[in-house]
Amino acid sequence: MMSTFFNQRFLPAGFLFLLFFFGNSPWKDVLAQEDLLSLLDEEQSKEPTYTIATFKASRLINGQTIETISKNHLNFWISHRFGAVNSGFIANFFGLDEAKIRLGLEYGLTDRWLVGAGRSSLEKTYDLYSKYKVLRQSNKVPITVTAMAGWGINTMPTGYIMESGSTMKFSNNIERYSYWSQVLVARKFTEKLSLQVMPTLIHVNKVEDPSIPNQLVSLGAGGRYKISQRITLSAEYYYSLRELEDDEDDDYGGSGGFSYPYRNALSLGVDIETGGHVFQFHLTNARGMIEKQFIGQNVGTWEKGDIFYGFNIARTFSLDKAARNTHK
Amino acid sequence: MKKLILFFFTFFLLGAGLSFGQNLYRTSVGEVSFFSKTPALDIEAINKKAGAILNADSRDLAIQMKITDFQFPNKLMQEHFNENYLESERFPTGKFVGKIKEAIDFSKPDTYSVTAAGNLTIHGVTKPVTVKGSIIATATELLVSFDFTVRTEDFKIKVPTLVFNKIAEVIEVSGKLNLVK
Repeated sequence: MMSTFFNQRFLPAGFLFLLFFFGNSPWKDVLAQEDLLSLLDEEQSKEPTYTIATFKASRLINGQTIETISKNHLNFWISHRFGAVNSGFIANFFGLDEAKIRLGLEYGLTDRWLVGAGRSSLEKTYDLYSKYKVLRQSNKVPITVTAMAGWGINTMPTGYIMESGSTMKFSNNIERYSYWSQVLVARKFTEKLSLQVMPTLIHVNKVEDPSIPNQLVSLGAGGRYKISQRITLSAEYYYSLRELEDDEDDDYGGSGGFSYPYRNALSLGVDIETGGHVFQFHLTNARGMIEKQFIGQNVGTWEKGDIFYGFNIARTFSLDKAARNTHK
Repeated sequence: MKKLILFFFTFFLLGAGLSFGQNLYRTSVGEVSFFSKTPALDIEAINKKAGAILNADSRDLAIQMKITDFQFPNKLMQEHFNENYLESERFPTGKFVGKIKEAIDFSKPDTYSVTAAGNLTIHGVTKPVTVKGSIIATATELLVSFDFTVRTEDFKIKVPTLVFNKIAEVIEVSGKLNLVK
C-alpha cells in the first residue's frame, strides 16, 4: 500500500504537500525557532546544575548541616538554650529565668570552605571549627558531602561540678581540650524535603570517670520539611554508640556504682527566614550547642521533661566589596 | 521501493536543512543583567552564561539562560532569588523565542535598530513581548544589545509584604550578546 501511495504519480504531490507544510507555512517559524532553542538546550545541558539551599542555614538545630556560606560572607550566630521546662514555675519560670548562650562567627573562605569560632557559656567553652563541602549535589551527583572538624577548650576553674553532677579536675591545659569530626551527607529529595546523616567521632581528653570512654562514636540523622516558602520544620537525632554493659533502664553499672549519665539528643525545631536573618526555634533535650556537649555530654531526657526551649538567630553579612557598593 | 527510499532521503535532507547549513550566529557567554531599584534597596544581578542563536536568513532568534547563573554580589540574596522568588528548581531556565521584525541583511556591516517580537518565558509563565534593541554588524560578528522592563506580577513572582519595599514591581532587564558566526 505504501508503495502504491508513493508511486510515480503521487510522489511529486506528496512531496509538494510536505514542502508546503514544513517549508512555507507559519509552522516553519515555530519549528525553526524551536530548533534554535534545542541547539541551545544541547549546549547548556552539558554543564551541571548544582542544587541550592538544601538547608536554610549552616546549622540544623544543635548540629551542623552540609551548608557552608559563600566566599567573603560572615555569619553571626546568637544561640540561647533556656532552662528545662520541668524546672518549676516559682523557682525558674519554667526555665525562662536562665539561659545558656553561645555566640559564634562563621566566615566563608571560599564558596565551599568555612571557618567558625564560638564561645558557649555552658562550661565556658571556646570552640573552633572548619567545614568543607567535598561533593555537591547536582543533576549528575545525587548527594552533598561535607567534612567538618572542630576543637574546643573548657575554661571552667578546676574542680567544678559538671551538669552530670560529677566533679571535674584539670591538672593541665591539654586535659581541657576536646575534638570532634563529622562527615555530613545530605540529599535534597524535593524542593521541600531534605535529609541528612552525620556520622560523628568525638574525643575528650579528660573525662570525669574512668568508666566513660574518651572516644564516642555517634550516628546522627536529621532533616527538614518546608511548609511554606519561609517556614521550615526540622528534626535532628544523635544516636551514640555507647557500650553499655548493663542496659537495664539505661543505667550503667560502672565503677563504684557510678551510673552512666549521658543520653542521646533529640531536637525538634521550626526555622523562619526573613531576608538576611534565619530564626530557629526549637525544643531539645540537649543544652549544649557544640558537638562535644550536645552529643557527648547531654544529661537531659524527654521522658523526664528535661526539655529546653531554645533559639538560634543567624545574620548573614556580605563583606564583598562589590556588594557594599550596591547595598548601601 | 526505490522511490520510497528516495522520498525519505529527500525528506530527511529537507528536514535537516531546517537546522543545518544555515546562516547561524551564536554565543554561549551572552550577558543579561537585571536591576531592581527602590528607595530602600538597589539589587543588581548579572548572568554571563546566556546562550543565544540568531538565524540571519530567517531572523529567528532564541535566547536561553539558567536562572541559577545569575550572580548577585550578596549570595544570600542570590539564594533567596532562586529559592523563593524564581523557584529555579521547578523553573530552571528563562528564555526568549522570537523573530526580528525588520528585514535586514546582516551581511552588510552597519548599526541597525531592531524590534524583536516573540515569547518571553520566566518562572514558567510565557508572555508575548516586543523588545527594542540594536545590532552592530561586522563581517563576522553581530553585537546585539537590548533592554526592556518586566513586571514581577506578570510572571507570577510573589513578593511578600515583608520585603515589598525592597523589591521593585518593575524590573529593568538589559543584555549584550556578542554573536559569532
